[in-house]
Amino acid sequence: MTADAFLFWFLAALTIISALSVILMTNPIYSALSLAMTMVSVAAIFVTLQAYFLAGVQIIVYAGAVMVLFVMVLMLFDLKHELQAFTRGRFSGAFKIASIGSLAGLLVGAMYSARINSALTESSIAANATSKGAITPLAEELFLRNVFGFEALGVLLLVIAVGTVALSRSKGGTHARH
Amino acid sequence: MTSMGTTGFEITVNLIKTVLVFLMMVQAVPILVWLERRGSAFIQNRFGPNRVGPLGLLQLLADAVKFLTKEDFAPEKGNRFMFYAAPVFALIPAAIAYMAIPMSVPLKLETATFLIQGFEINVGIVFVLGISSLAAYTILMAGWGSGSKFSLMGAMRASAQIISYELALGLSIVGVILMYGTFNFNEMILQQQGPLSFNAFGYTVATAALPNWGIFYQPVGMILFFAATFAESNRLPFDLAEGEAELVAGFHTEYGGFKMLMFFIGEYGHMMIASGLMATFFFGGYGIPYVSIQDVQNFGMNLFGSEIAANVFNTVVHFLCYNIKFGLFLWIFIWVRWTLPRFRYDQLMDLGWKTMLPWALVNTMVTAAVMFVTTYFMF
Repeated sequence: MTADAFLFWFLAALTIISALSVILMTNPIYSALSLAMTMVSVAAIFVTLQAYFLAGVQIIVYAGAVMVLFVMVLMLFDLKHELQAFTRGRFSGAFKIASIGSLAGLLVGAMYSARINSALTESSIAANATSKGAITPLAEELFLRNVFGFEALGVLLLVIAVGTVALSRSKGGTHARH
Repeated sequence: MTSMGTTGFEITVNLIKTVLVFLMMVQAVPILVWLERRGSAFIQNRFGPNRVGPLGLLQLLADAVKFLTKEDFAPEKGNRFMFYAAPVFALIPAAIAYMAIPMSVPLKLETATFLIQGFEINVGIVFVLGISSLAAYTILMAGWGSGSKFSLMGAMRASAQIISYELALGLSIVGVILMYGTFNFNEMILQQQGPLSFNAFGYTVATAALPNWGIFYQPVGMILFFAATFAESNRLPFDLAEGEAELVAGFHTEYGGFKMLMFFIGEYGHMMIASGLMATFFFGGYGIPYVSIQDVQNFGMNLFGSEIAANVFNTVVHFLCYNIKFGLFLWIFIWVRWTLPRFRYDQLMDLGWKTMLPWALVNTMVTAAVMFVTTYFMF
């Protein structure tokens, strides 16, 4: 086995194990930490594919900022209470199975359509993304060719942020009496 | 990342190098602790530890023995796995991130070339910032795993602070990235060689009096970056996480002995990353002001008369120069700690979100505008 193959199988196993433990762990904090581990190992797979910029951004944004917030908020909860609400009940079990099923369907569908649409793998992005971690092609795609989509996504995120604040405020925010 | 080499010799050396950089980092900690204690004593007009060995230098050896022989204690109500995992994880981000910082000119030995850094990554800045931001997890794990209110409060404060200041930290170096046009540390350092010179409005402005360092182009960025790194490494005046008047010792309240020392090493590791990045971004990295790399090489050739000896000499001299800058910033870290009082929590958040973030944004926009105007308009 070559070094590349070993790295791939090792990282793939790590990713799958940590991704599985996200849903199999009963303690939400372990789940959140496993998700962070999944992010890091996906970033490591990006490194083996020589997409260094993508790996760095993956770690900064997901593992370094988003998941830290998740873990922080989870630690503030009364976990004993939440643990029971999270693991028990027929409804939550059915919900879990349904969501796993739909996600699996989505993945299989995506793979199937990607197999048909093999032109996608030969596009300029895929070719450029692996060229020694160069970021100029990525910037050209984002800021020249797809600038409107990129900006629209930014506006969408802003709308989501404002909406979240507005919703939580209308219900009394952190000072709400239940 | 360059590959680990083609010949067995190169691969072996590169593997040893990664271990060596880590050991270097760990070994620098006792010296820094000594400097911190003696420095604080000097600033506060005391003696500090001066009994064990010359100038108290062996105090740290005695401390290490004490730490190793202490009782291995874990709180009953805590989470044992998290409690033991946190100090181990505290070392990893600091060590891996520091390896990406170049410390000297590459050493050329006949056919092989060795970089004086753990590994080279083309997007070095993104890598270092990303990896060092993972340190927030170790603090959270320690705080939660201890099963103590003080620890949890300290961990919450620390992680909220790290996330807040990461934005200012990231934005403060966008100006630097725009200016150098690269994410690669080595290319940045090579661009800072020689005397100060830049092109503006079709003219070339040059002066031999100043080196071509980033600080002369990005003074605001430098101040913001340095301030944000203090917050990132949880040092005074930003050490709200362990405000001893309120929280005993913050997230490491329950830790003792060597476990606590490992958090210490992690914190000093983040100081070292910050100092290394300061030198690389704003102070020419390993470059020597007024002297080019070729000058040192020629001097070595005259001195020793052989190519390999001159190469080794060149690398060693630049390594020493890097370490002078590196040590200076570490000293400033210690100096500030014993000079400034701690912020209040609302002051900390105000400074991060309402002062540093807007200034960093303005710095980015002004840099971009100035670069555009001076490049595309001619007079």
